[in-house]
Amino acid sequence: MDELRKLWAITRREYFERVRTKWFVIATVFGPIFFGALMTVPAYFAHRTRESPELSRIRVLDATGVGLGRRVASELIGGPMGDTSLTQVEVVAPDRLPAAERAARRLVTNEQIRGYLVLDARTVAGQSARYAGVNATALNDMRRIERIVEQEVLSIRLEDKGLRSVEARSLARMDLDLDSERVSDTGRGGSGTLNIVFAVSVAMLLYVTIFLYGQNVLRGVMEERQSRVAEVVVSSVRPTTLLAGKVLGVGAVGLTQMLIWLVAALAMFRVRAPILHQFGVDALAINLPHITPGMMALLLVFFVLGFTFYAALFAVVGATVNTEQEAQQAQLPVVMLLVVSISFLQPVLNAPDGRLSGVLSWLPFSAPIIMPLRLASTQVASGQVVMALAALVASCYIAVFIAGRVYRGALLLYGKRPTLGEIWRWVGRAR
Amino acid sequence: MTEPAVEIRHVAKRYEKHVAIRDLSLVVPVGAVYGLLGPNGAGKTTTIRMILNIIAPDEGTIAVLGQPSTAPRTTDRIGYLPEERGLYRKMKVRAVLRFLADLKGVPGKVADRRIDEWLERLSLKTPERDWGAAKVDELSRGMQQKVQFIGALVHDPEVVILDEPFSGLDPVNAQALKDTVIELKRRGRTVLFSTHMVDNAERMCDAVCIIARGEKVLDGPVGEVRSGSNGRHVALSLASTSPGDGVGAVLSDARLVKSIDDSNRFFEIELADGADPQELLGRVLAAGARVERFEIVRPSLHRIFLDRVGAQGVETGVTGHG
Repeated sequence: MDELRKLWAITRREYFERVRTKWFVIATVFGPIFFGALMTVPAYFAHRTRESPELSRIRVLDATGVGLGRRVASELIGGPMGDTSLTQVEVVAPDRLPAAERAARRLVTNEQIRGYLVLDARTVAGQSARYAGVNATALNDMRRIERIVEQEVLSIRLEDKGLRSVEARSLARMDLDLDSERVSDTGRGGSGTLNIVFAVSVAMLLYVTIFLYGQNVLRGVMEERQSRVAEVVVSSVRPTTLLAGKVLGVGAVGLTQMLIWLVAALAMFRVRAPILHQFGVDALAINLPHITPGMMALLLVFFVLGFTFYAALFAVVGATVNTEQEAQQAQLPVVMLLVVSISFLQPVLNAPDGRLSGVLSWLPFSAPIIMPLRLASTQVASGQVVMALAALVASCYIAVFIAGRVYRGALLLYGKRPTLGEIWRWVGRAR
Repeated sequence: MTEPAVEIRHVAKRYEKHVAIRDLSLVVPVGAVYGLLGPNGAGKTTTIRMILNIIAPDEGTIAVLGQPSTAPRTTDRIGYLPEERGLYRKMKVRAVLRFLADLKGVPGKVADRRIDEWLERLSLKTPERDWGAAKVDELSRGMQQKVQFIGALVHDPEVVILDEPFSGLDPVNAQALKDTVIELKRRGRTVLFSTHMVDNAERMCDAVCIIARGEKVLDGPVGEVRSGSNGRHVALSLASTSPGDGVGAVLSDARLVKSIDDSNRFFEIELADGADPQELLGRVLAAGARVERFEIVRPSLHRIFLDRVGAQGVETGVTGHG
């Protein structure tokens, strides 16, 4: 009871001393501005750069014998009114194709054309076409070419079936956007892309907050030791209480900031479309992903546990270093754990239910980031969630225990850096 | 009979490479000003930290005001000024003091009142300037020491423990500290302080304990300690000395002087067996010296300290384990 009162005193000090700093105010204000930019600027630029204007400066090698090349070229340059000098069409016999390709390749190397497109009997059969060029990795470009070829093949087929060419063309021409929607237990869900954006945002937010405030704990512990104030405090409270109060206080600051950011982000979602509209971009108003209170609570629990785990590790580092430089080096292993976790973001998103994802949600260092990512992007079996939580809670306990011991040992060791052997002995010693 | 303020029984503390405290027992009576004397590295800070339950002894027991030092509320009754001083530098003075009071369970209003009283008393709050509103950073070193001192006293503790309180203090602040200690004693508080400056201890302490190499050398009330020491001593002060006078020769005469502590103008002399102090005085005067003081005295604590602890008692001190 008494110790609880002291814990509260420490937590309060840690919280209010941090919330009052300029640093906190600046980060809290600039966070939402940054998010806002993140949400509008890419959309704006994506709008500006649909595909490369040079897309049509290619050569089409037509070995189909049905004039597919000319039709594709005409579409590429933007219809009959387009600049016909851009896309060259070379009608070749199938057996002369290799030679024609070699010639085209030279032109690409000489930068006279961007690339060349090979159309043959397999293309007409709806199976394949080939493209080689400097822009082969530009997804938007390739998708456009693919779509045009498909469309023209389809209209040729329709004409073969007896449709007039105008009708066939209008039937074949379509510009379909795939709007994917995620289905979850609750039967509802936002759009698929949006869920991924949301999931990534959650993971990034957790990563950034744990990182920033974990380091905050490190610095706090280090300063307390450097300024010698720790000795006065531990003459009143147990070192573990001091550590716990610090972790709680700093964690509460992180939580406060996260909540402010979250509210700001939600508001930003609402004003995103109007803002983009100002720049002449017609963006659809985004429907927010559906998040149940239970899900929210779960994400919160993962943050609290993840933060506690990492804060304990950072505290160990802070207790064993004397200068900022030493801290930079010594914190590297802890930082690496965090960075490794976030670097698995893409693989996990690709297969949220895969084995890799499963393993990463078990490991205590990646679970606080990967599990929320999965929770936000897919349906995770509740058994798995419970197991991940259990593993994380156990790891937190161990981390805090070790941190408490090291903290107590290192707190009064002034001026020198403890050796690994000493740290090991502290962990083993009760008092 | 009331419980002693601090009672240490057969305490030992060992570290990996050295023994900090071998077997220490001491009793600090309630209401006493008690000095813990010893050279650097003797184990003073280790002893104090064990009293405050910051570190635990390997062996033995420590009781504060009749309660084991490990009991939850015991340390709330102690005020502590560590040797290595420090405060939260970015915090305002009042906020730091409020926090320290908070840790000891002092209600906010009471703490505020006491903090203001102390700030005024130690002239940190004057009509011109209220340093309580300043950040710790902005204070001079001396002022920070005062703030830390207030921090040790803000919960009005029954036992006050000061580790090397005089180190780094200028004469004015040292005097203020001394006055406060005496005032605390008048109000029935117990003050335990460590120092290696024996003169301070001699003037202020009711009782002392001298430790060296982790062991008690002697302890007891200052009067007893001094009278318990053997030998006849003379305190001699001269108006001035010069290398050419004959005083030096007189004082190095082994028939008269057994040992001497030469502070240039002041000498503490242990007479040789059978020597007559009158003869010594006569010889000194005959040598042409102008005597300001010649007194047969009990040996000073300083003298006893040097005799008993000796040069070999001073180990190379490790900061933090003094």
